[in-house]
Amino acid sequence: MALINKVLPGYVATLWMQDAVDPTPLTDAQLSTWTAQVANIIGTEAGGAGTDGMFVPVEAIPAFGADDASAAYSVAGARTGAKITTQNQVTSMTITAAWNSADAALLQIRADGYSGSTIRTYTIAVYDGTDTVAYSFNARVGGLQWDMSPSAEGKFIFTIHPVGGNSYGWSTNT
Amino acid sequence: MTTQNNPVNYAEAIQYQLANIVTPVPVYANFNRNFAKQPKFLTWQLRNIHQPVYTGGIQSNKGIDTPTFQISIFAQEMSDAFNLSDDILQSLHGYSGQFGGDDGFFIAKADVFWLYNSYDDELKLHQIFLDCTIYVPA
Repeated sequence: MALINKVLPGYVATLWMQDAVDPTPLTDAQLSTWTAQVANIIGTEAGGAGTDGMFVPVEAIPAFGADDASAAYSVAGARTGAKITTQNQVTSMTITAAWNSADAALLQIRADGYSGSTIRTYTIAVYDGTDTVAYSFNARVGGLQWDMSPSAEGKFIFTIHPVGGNSYGWSTNT
Repeated sequence: MTTQNNPVNYAEAIQYQLANIVTPVPVYANFNRNFAKQPKFLTWQLRNIHQPVYTGGIQSNKGIDTPTFQISIFAQEMSDAFNLSDDILQSLHGYSGQFGGDDGFFIAKADVFWLYNSYDDELKLHQIFLDCTIYVPA
């Protein structure tokens, strides 16, 4: 595993997704598999192979991971209550992109949101110029909004909701 | 855990990168003693090297570096100055990748602010000033 042994600027993160109109999302095992799976979605600009993925031009990558949750209970007579950590859902990501009405990736996301049923593999790639660490998950698109406030360029805002189960994985180039 | 970058590496990389962008126009650090003879040239100054420090007695508990350098363009013809500024914007603004050639380092992003243009009547040179911030993994 060629892990990046540095503290990195947030700017190293990029968002990629499968480029097929009707994609076959990666399996749970494939989401953690770099070669021929995750690498194919990530472009060469971020250290991938770029054969069947496309770059999503978002402003910033929001926090990703899993939602926090715990079960709390108290016991009569005990000095404190207690918590048990529970594993919650994979975090949904609300993303803002500068809206370009001819951008292929944004149009695909608009189409996925219109469909409502398309499950697609998304990958966040962190790249230091040599090595890549990737976080991949399967998700549907919801919550499409366009914000045309005159104080800045038009924004396209959407939320990627991961599907359930173990549908995320970490991988890195070797 | 973060390593401290050496400012001399920044200086060398900035000199290399700017010279590469505007070649064959000469590039100097701080000052050009031959300004009266050269119809156009660049100077640059580095500032704001600072990695944020975090809590505790471990010296390497730090964040990343985001140094800023100023680029000053000088030209006898106003259009030369504007075209040089365009060369820099096209090449550097938003750039991510190797910075400073093979001996340089990777930058996650370069962010250029085109500040203003001016004219020095004593030197008879048009001037354009830009600021560039680079985001360096450390």
